[in-house]
Amino acid sequence: MSITSDLIRGHTDTIILASLMDGDSYGYKINKDILTRTDNQYELKEATLYTAFKRLEENGCITSYWGNETTGARRRYYTITAEGRRTYYRLKDEWNTTKKLIDILIRNEEEDSNGK
Amino acid sequence: MENKLREYMDMVFSDIEPSKKSIELKEEILQNLIDKYNDLLSEGKSPEAAYNIAVASIGDTSELLAGFRQETVRKAESIDMAKAKKKSAILMAVAIALYITCVVPVIIFTFISENGFFGAVLGPCIMFVMIAVATGLIIYNEMTKPKYNKTDDTMVEEFKEWQDRNDSSVRAMKSIKSALWSLIVVVYLIVSFMTGAWHITWVIFLIGSAIEKIIQSIFELKRQ
Repeated sequence: MSITSDLIRGHTDTIILASLMDGDSYGYKINKDILTRTDNQYELKEATLYTAFKRLEENGCITSYWGNETTGARRRYYTITAEGRRTYYRLKDEWNTTKKLIDILIRNEEEDSNGK
Repeated sequence: MENKLREYMDMVFSDIEPSKKSIELKEEILQNLIDKYNDLLSEGKSPEAAYNIAVASIGDTSELLAGFRQETVRKAESIDMAKAKKKSAILMAVAIALYITCVVPVIIFTFISENGFFGAVLGPCIMFVMIAVATGLIIYNEMTKPKYNKTDDTMVEEFKEWQDRNDSSVRAMKSIKSALWSLIVVVYLIVSFMTGAWHITWVIFLIGSAIEKIIQSIFELKRQ
């Protein structure tokens, strides 16, 4: 879990932007979605999540507003901006390229011949 | 338990100066924790376990709060600097006003009685007192001006501090010079008015200039 999370942490922004591509959301819901989608294998720390929100908002990738829940909890919702969408596609492209490269670089001959 | 979560967040934010942003962030994270806590309870966790899991999920907040901490420090420093600046401006303004108006009593008392006690003695005395007070104010102001405080440990800040240290002796020199010259003018006027020997009193300026050079050289010697 801890090794994986280190590798994933670099993609926190991409994960959050991807989640917001499906519509406005708030901190806990985003984190819960991550947890469900990864089948309870991965979840962001609160501090990581809000640091990312702050960074993304400063970069103009997302904007936020306070929801008007009538019962109890007031939540801050986040919306992805046009700039955020562009960033999302760029980061996703970057990841796909990286993924291919890493796959090539860490493949070993022996395994290859066994596999095929 | 919700109160316990609130207490925990208060503790995390304890050294952050409350601002709209920091309070909103705290509330946002707290709401998040409460949601998580309630979900964990509905999953069948005990309140203690749910609390511990929720608190553990916060993680390392140092990066998140670093921005707020910096703002807090900077704000306090700029307030201090602004206060000091205002004080120094008031002191200077009063001192200069005193210099300008110090001839007024002389004029008034001379007008009242041409040659009596008031005209010849009291007027000039008041004038000298006013000059003394004004000069005192200027020197006090220069001495109490706050030193430039480092805002962070960068080369630029260190350079500024070094520059400031060098400046302080230059500054003291400047204030002494300005006080000296106004004194010279005052002495010149008094002597001239009282003796009426305008043809020769200009020598005072030459003497003054000599005194200035002497003071300057004393300063230079001290610095070495």
